[in-house]
Amino acid sequence: MRKKRVTVTNMVLACFVFTIILPVVVLLLWTVTERWAWPDLFPQVFSMRALAGIFQKGGTLTRIFLSSIMISSVVAVLSVVIGTLTARALVLYEFRGKGLIHFLTVLPFMVPATAFAMGIQIAFIKMGLNNTVMGVVVSHLICSLPYAVRLMMDGTAAVGDRLEEQARVLGASAVQAFVRVTLPVLVPVLLSAFSMSYIVSFSQYFLTLLIGGGQVRTFTVVMVPYLLSGERNIACAYSVIFLGVTLAVFGIFEKIADRWSRNMDTEFYA
Amino acid sequence: MKRKLTPYLLLVPQILLTILFLIGLVTGITQSLGVIPAFGLTEPTLMYYKEVLTKPDLLKSVLFSLKLAFSSALMSTAAGVCLCAMLVLSRRTKGKMMRIVQLPIIVPHVVVALFVINICSQNGLLARVCYRLGMIGEQQEFPMLIYDSHGLGIIFAYLWKEIPFIVYFVIALMANIDGKLGEASVNLGANRFQTFFRVTLPLCLHAICSGFLIIFVFALGAYELPFILGATAPKALPVQAYIQYTHPDLRNRPYAMALNGMIIVISLVSAWVYFVLMRKNMKNLTIRE
Repeated sequence: MRKKRVTVTNMVLACFVFTIILPVVVLLLWTVTERWAWPDLFPQVFSMRALAGIFQKGGTLTRIFLSSIMISSVVAVLSVVIGTLTARALVLYEFRGKGLIHFLTVLPFMVPATAFAMGIQIAFIKMGLNNTVMGVVVSHLICSLPYAVRLMMDGTAAVGDRLEEQARVLGASAVQAFVRVTLPVLVPVLLSAFSMSYIVSFSQYFLTLLIGGGQVRTFTVVMVPYLLSGERNIACAYSVIFLGVTLAVFGIFEKIADRWSRNMDTEFYA
Repeated sequence: MKRKLTPYLLLVPQILLTILFLIGLVTGITQSLGVIPAFGLTEPTLMYYKEVLTKPDLLKSVLFSLKLAFSSALMSTAAGVCLCAMLVLSRRTKGKMMRIVQLPIIVPHVVVALFVINICSQNGLLARVCYRLGMIGEQQEFPMLIYDSHGLGIIFAYLWKEIPFIVYFVIALMANIDGKLGEASVNLGANRFQTFFRVTLPLCLHAICSGFLIIFVFALGAYELPFILGATAPKALPVQAYIQYTHPDLRNRPYAMALNGMIIVISLVSAWVYFVLMRKNMKNLTIRE
């Protein structure tokens, strides 16, 4: 009976893993496929045409690359910084209107981007932010900030301010105490907040299209027309390249976080 | 005095962004009530909401999106919790398994749409496998799973992305409770299953409900997947709203905003419930410690 249960569990989990991996494998296949006619399970003719096509337009690719990565990185840095400040205020201080502000920080997480994007575009047109990189960054920031705040609040609550107070007693200024005592312990949380915000910004399609007005070209904005016009191998090639970049960003950050927390003494959390 | 000011100073950038966000919401809601001075509309009216709920094609969009969002969220949550339970009970809550669970969370929705086209279209891998197995004799016999009027392709895409999300969202809490309180319950004579259903699951309920709400609201308001994978009719709520928004006749603008207004109202209610659940959860955690 017990053995049977274990087998069932393993089979279900195997199916789950298979379902997650399969589309990724098919995506990889498509990027090097020239012809994959019905009803073959495997492509008949392979070629590097799609990849070569993308790389031939080297300038465009680099530009999309840079603008995508730059926008998402700027958004991520800003949301980590703002998130840290907000988390500090919400976790370590008591003040009037705290409940309301906490609720308002959560709100953009639950209100879909589509719903506020059109309203915000009208406001952005008046402020001259429409069709600009700045406008796209600000709108992405609104979406990604709740994630950063949530993560930073957990981190700040875990670290607390007792050690900082000791540093203050020993003569450090408020800023010194924060930068030299709390900040190093928060690094792993900061990195995961960065990654999360980066992903949220990187995945936006509708917001970028609407606020960027086609002027701001990120990966999703460039990829979707290929997808819609049926040039599937080019869409796949773009997706593979950008998934690769994202995974690399994630991997590197996780490594750094791991190494950092191994070097830091865990008794800080005690 | 200084200490009193500090939290407000820390919150300055957050509050600026929040104001911008609220301007977006309020602009949308004012226009949905038919107040657009630039077009000479100044009288607030609920007419547009009424029309959205009575015009057949607009009403169809509303119902279609509600159905889509609810079924995606329900199925994702149910399947996610089951998988999460399996992972916790077989003690596979870390390492390689979690990396695989994280993968769909990283993949953007537009790429997930591409996945679904590759696998589920009439020319996709699934159709080819069915043909090989002799279940269908011709390409056209394979059911329309994408661009279909039930939104099956969209639901598949959400399931692929959101089941792992639920696992990721719940697993840390579940593993923690199962480890600490579960051990106590096993010591007191309950078996692993009793422990799971009587102790661990009830304590995770808040988190599970929050996860459900997040997916529901997201699927209700997201544009990408229904735009790429949806049928010509019925159109999902956000797609319909965007069509009205970009309509050459500017008098259609309030319809767009009324459609958005429905999403906003539903999401505000969900946000409130989510917020209450989150606070309760935090209290539970602190009491337990």
